[in-house]
Amino acid sequence: MELSESVQRGLQSLGDQAVLDRSSFPVVVDACFRSLLSSRGDPAVLDLPELKHVDKILLKQIHAAATTFILEAVKHNADKSTISSSLEELTFNTERVEIFYSTFQVCRKEKACFIGRGPAHIKDVSWRLQYQMKNGQLDKVNEPFYLISLSTENGGASEDVDFSCTAEQLQDLVGKLKDAAKSVEKASQM
Amino acid sequence: MLLVLSEEHREHLSMLPQVDPSVVGEFGRIALEFLRRGTSPKIYEGAARKLGVSVEAVQQGVEGLMFLLMESSKHTISEVDFVDSVLVLGFGEELNQVLLQLYRDNQAQIRRILSQLIPSQPSFHQLEWRLDVQVASRSLRQRLVPTVTMRLMLSESEEGKHSTWVLQTDPSTLLHLISTLEAALAAVKTSHSRRILRNIK
Repeated sequence: MELSESVQRGLQSLGDQAVLDRSSFPVVVDACFRSLLSSRGDPAVLDLPELKHVDKILLKQIHAAATTFILEAVKHNADKSTISSSLEELTFNTERVEIFYSTFQVCRKEKACFIGRGPAHIKDVSWRLQYQMKNGQLDKVNEPFYLISLSTENGGASEDVDFSCTAEQLQDLVGKLKDAAKSVEKASQM
Repeated sequence: MLLVLSEEHREHLSMLPQVDPSVVGEFGRIALEFLRRGTSPKIYEGAARKLGVSVEAVQQGVEGLMFLLMESSKHTISEVDFVDSVLVLGFGEELNQVLLQLYRDNQAQIRRILSQLIPSQPSFHQLEWRLDVQVASRSLRQRLVPTVTMRLMLSESEEGKHSTWVLQTDPSTLLHLISTLEAALAAVKTSHSRRILRNIK
C-alpha cells in the first residue's frame, strides 16, 4: 500500500515506544477505530485521561495518520501480511502489530462502507386492493384496482413512490420482476 | 332508471322536432365534437343560417342534446329506459330512433371522455430493468455487489405526461417484492372479493 509522508510519520509516532507507552497504545488505536465507526465525528474522542501526558498536536497527527491507514486498508481489502509488513516497515514491534490487526479484524466487518451515490434503493412494497363503484363523473364504474406504494431510501432520506394499477398491469409488473429474478439466478450459476 | 329532464332542458330540446332527422344526426356529431374539443361560434352560425333559425336556438339544441347523451352515458341506462325518458318530450317515432342510435353508437366513447375528468393518481405505465454488478468504487476496491436497476414509468393524470423513477434493489429484496405482489394478485381471486364484485353491480 502506498502511504504519503505525513501518514508514514504519524504511524511512526504511533509505533514509537517513547511517544506512547504500552498502556496508551491500545487506547489510541481504539479511539481511532471508534471515530471511524461512529456516524458522527466526536471532537472529544482523543480527550482521554490516559493520554493527558502526550502532546496534543502529535496525538492529532497520529489520529489522522492511523485513520487514513485504516481506510486505505479497507479500500484495498488488505490481508494480514500486507498490513503487518507495512506496519513493521514503520518500526512497529510485533506486539503492537498484533494489537492493531486484531482491532482491525473486529471493526472491518462493521465498516461496511455504504459510501457512494446512486439511484434510490427500494426497501419495501405495500399494496391495497380497492373497488371503484362510482365517481363524480361516472356511475357504475365497478372496477377493482390496486394502490401500490414502494418505500425507497437514498442516503438516509426515504421517499415513497405511489401509483395505481389494474390487475392486468400488476400482472405485467410481476412478470417483468420475475424475468429480472430469473436472470439474476442464471448469472449466479455461470 | 329513467332520466328526469328539467323544464329548461326540455325547452332547449323542443327545437329538434322542427328540423329534419338527418339534421339531428348532424347536431349529434357537433355535440360529440364539443365534448372532445370544445366548440366554435362559427359552426353554430353556419347551421343557423342553413336552417333559418336563430343561433341561440341552434346552440341550445346542441347543448341540450349533448347533456342528454352525457347523463345517459353516465348512468349507463338501458335502451328501453332511454326511449322511455325521451318519450316524455313528445317527439316523433323517427326522431326517437335517431336519438337512440346516437346513444348506442357513442356511449362507450362518452364514458371514456368523462373518465378523463376524474382526479386520478399516477398509474403504472412501464417497467424496464437491468442487472448490474458493482466491482469497485472510489472508496472501496474489489467489491462484488449485484443490483437490479429499474426504470419505472408512470403516467400522470394529464394525457401523455409520464413521470420516470430510476430505482435500484438487491436480489433478496427483489424476491420479497415478487412474493408480496403475487399475494396482492391472489387477493382479487378470493371468495370474499368475488362475492363483492358479483353483488355490487
